[in-house]
Amino acid sequence: MSYEGVLEQSDSGLRELVEAGEEIIGYIYPHTPLELILAHGFTPSLMRAIPGITSGFEESLQTFACSYIRNLYNQRTNEQLPPISGLLFPGNTCDSLQNLTDIWKVRFSEDRVFRLTYPVTRYANDDSAEIYLTKELEILSSTIESTLDRPFTTDNYERAVSLIREFRLDAQFLYAARVVDPEVLSYTELARLVRSFLSAPVTSVGSEIHRVTLLVKEKLKSKGLLGIIDSILSGLQKKDLSKVNSFKPPSGPRLLVVGGMVEPQAIATIINGIDSVDDSILILDLLSFGFKSVFAPPINRSGNPFEEMAKSILAAPGEPTQEGLRYRMDFLKDLVKALHIDGLIICEQSFCDPDQFEAPSIEKAASAAGIRTVRIPLDPELSDRARIEVKIQTFLESLGIS
Amino acid sequence: MTEMKKEEKVYRQLESNKLLQQIMFQNMLMGHQASEENRLAWVTSGFPVEIPVAMDVGVSYPEQYGAIVGSQKVGPEVCGYAEDIGYSQELCSYARASIGSVENPDNSPMEGLPKPQALLAGNNICGTVLRWYDAISEQTGAPVFLFDTPPIEDEQPDHHKEYVRRGIERLVAFLGTTFNKTLTDERMQEVADLSSKALGLWTKSLTACKTSPSPLNCADRFLAMGPVVSMRGTELIIDFYQSLLDEVEMRVKEGLGAIRDEKIRLLWDNIPPWHSIFKFFNGLAKRGVVFPADTYTHAWSGKIEGDDLFGSVVSIYSNVYLNKGLNAKIDKMCKMIKDYNLDGFVMFSVRSCKRYSLGQLVSKEIVAERTGVPGVVIEGDMVDSRVYNEAQIQTRVDALLEMFM
Repeated sequence: MSYEGVLEQSDSGLRELVEAGEEIIGYIYPHTPLELILAHGFTPSLMRAIPGITSGFEESLQTFACSYIRNLYNQRTNEQLPPISGLLFPGNTCDSLQNLTDIWKVRFSEDRVFRLTYPVTRYANDDSAEIYLTKELEILSSTIESTLDRPFTTDNYERAVSLIREFRLDAQFLYAARVVDPEVLSYTELARLVRSFLSAPVTSVGSEIHRVTLLVKEKLKSKGLLGIIDSILSGLQKKDLSKVNSFKPPSGPRLLVVGGMVEPQAIATIINGIDSVDDSILILDLLSFGFKSVFAPPINRSGNPFEEMAKSILAAPGEPTQEGLRYRMDFLKDLVKALHIDGLIICEQSFCDPDQFEAPSIEKAASAAGIRTVRIPLDPELSDRARIEVKIQTFLESLGIS
Repeated sequence: MTEMKKEEKVYRQLESNKLLQQIMFQNMLMGHQASEENRLAWVTSGFPVEIPVAMDVGVSYPEQYGAIVGSQKVGPEVCGYAEDIGYSQELCSYARASIGSVENPDNSPMEGLPKPQALLAGNNICGTVLRWYDAISEQTGAPVFLFDTPPIEDEQPDHHKEYVRRGIERLVAFLGTTFNKTLTDERMQEVADLSSKALGLWTKSLTACKTSPSPLNCADRFLAMGPVVSMRGTELIIDFYQSLLDEVEMRVKEGLGAIRDEKIRLLWDNIPPWHSIFKFFNGLAKRGVVFPADTYTHAWSGKIEGDDLFGSVVSIYSNVYLNKGLNAKIDKMCKMIKDYNLDGFVMFSVRSCKRYSLGQLVSKEIVAERTGVPGVVIEGDMVDSRVYNEAQIQTRVDALLEMFM
């Protein structure tokens, strides 16, 4: 299936919602408080970068704006964003998104644009970030209420917390399961399920993921693998792999994909497009719309909603704004060792500061762990797909995989 | 004969530049001494440097070093050392210059900056500093302290102020632990006073450029801002800013401009192209173009004062130009064009600096519409001359100047 086809399939839930008259608030950053949006009676939907969009950014953005924000802007100018009631941008996460929000407000002044400004809390060892973010979330909530005339309701919030908790726990299990038995569920399917939920976090999609999880659990139970999967799951949840039980991985190459706001389905499509290779070689990703979204800890329903949402966001794994470089690289080294990773695919979105600054450090960390790497510069258009496939194929051959 | 040649130049040299060179040299020596004594921190330009200074921590500025690399025209080489170890050419050239010089000091100007024992990053100028200082930390082993000032849209809300204030308290604790130093109220007051005094003198020199002919041009200000960026809070720089102000006031009194034949007054937006700074501005000076104001050198203006010095630090360092939204930038540009009686503006779209540059295409339209004066956007880089197309820039500036004929 083409990449466009893959994306269309995973967006079907969103289309159904729109057709049913549901009101959508689009979001862009992985660590968005989905529960808050749901609590106001809106459906949050991840606005992804998509290929095949006619250019239109030139009126407002220079060519050195990151390819992700150029793509979003193109979608808006070409009226290809889904019908949404509002759009939530992140603040203080990267310069491109920060400035895009300002530009958007000027150029599309009729749009309802919200901004949640995150703290950058690394190296802090106090409650200041939590207090700050709690207040920001309260302000966002009251802004949504006053702008869109929909109050935050406890019933909606509690349903949202349950829905997202179940999604996270199921998806976390599936991630851990693939580490031990990558053929139990294709990476493509896992990426599709996660993507479907992030596009339309509704009960039907959550139920589909839960059904898949039960099936996978059943299969792995019969193979006697649930114990090791629990151990890996716990290690990933606690960001500490030192206590993961040792295990013998199945034969075959084991690759890890790292990067930022890169579409996991794009990576799966590229891998499956390479001759005589399938995505069972992808053991795990550490991407923003994959692992980093899935492994944000679920919210404790009994606490103050805004405080609990802030805690969950601040505890999300692998974010440069929340964890120092050394911490992340140490985690990476531990991870490749504990999970028997053979090689790393490092994705770099063009003109993306976070991706491009981190890539050399990832290479160094992998080298220190005795792991080979390949760097893949890419954009949402996959405009260089043929070359990317050749590069990955060459990398696989260097690992003895072909 | 020499005097005659000097007089023929379209551009008037500042006498106070001699003093400037001396104190910048002295600052470099102080940095080396601090490093040898294990009390040197590298800091970003928007960092509340008064606090480390008050705690007897020496400071060096990688951004200023990037400017030196650029002005010595070795940007491609030094940035290239960073690219050799994997940093993309698409990344900030200040960052690449400092990473490159740490990687290959022997082939970098001044053998790079002296080795730091801590890295103090303030994200009020951009988010890039966070990643950049991480990279330097990986190279040098020095720990990073991040002073987080979330961007401001309108008025800074109370919870925001409180959060930034907690960051200052953590900074004092971090410096205390890292360098075994303490901060006293007396010393903080003393440094704040010196900082405010220097800023007061500097601001007077800047505002003197409202007169016509303007006593300073862009390149003058970009050079003269060095001490106020890197040595705020020290006694050393007061004499320089006093002598600069004396010279500026003398020029105003005698009707002497920074250029000899001022015809067109323009606003400059963004960091300058350090590799071509004299060629660019002096080239335009020959055509009677002066830049009495710019958005960059005016960024250092807030005075730390009042009973609550930390509260003042919170306010000043959260409200810097680059930490505010597009509307604030547009308002400031419009105000400068009015206050300085400017005929137009030039926006340098710096490929390295997304925080400063993304949004310029929009603000150009709005500023032109509100003020009724024309502007142009030129694109390039401040350090890396490989992405600076002189001919293309010349053509665009020519097109702007034609509007004034």
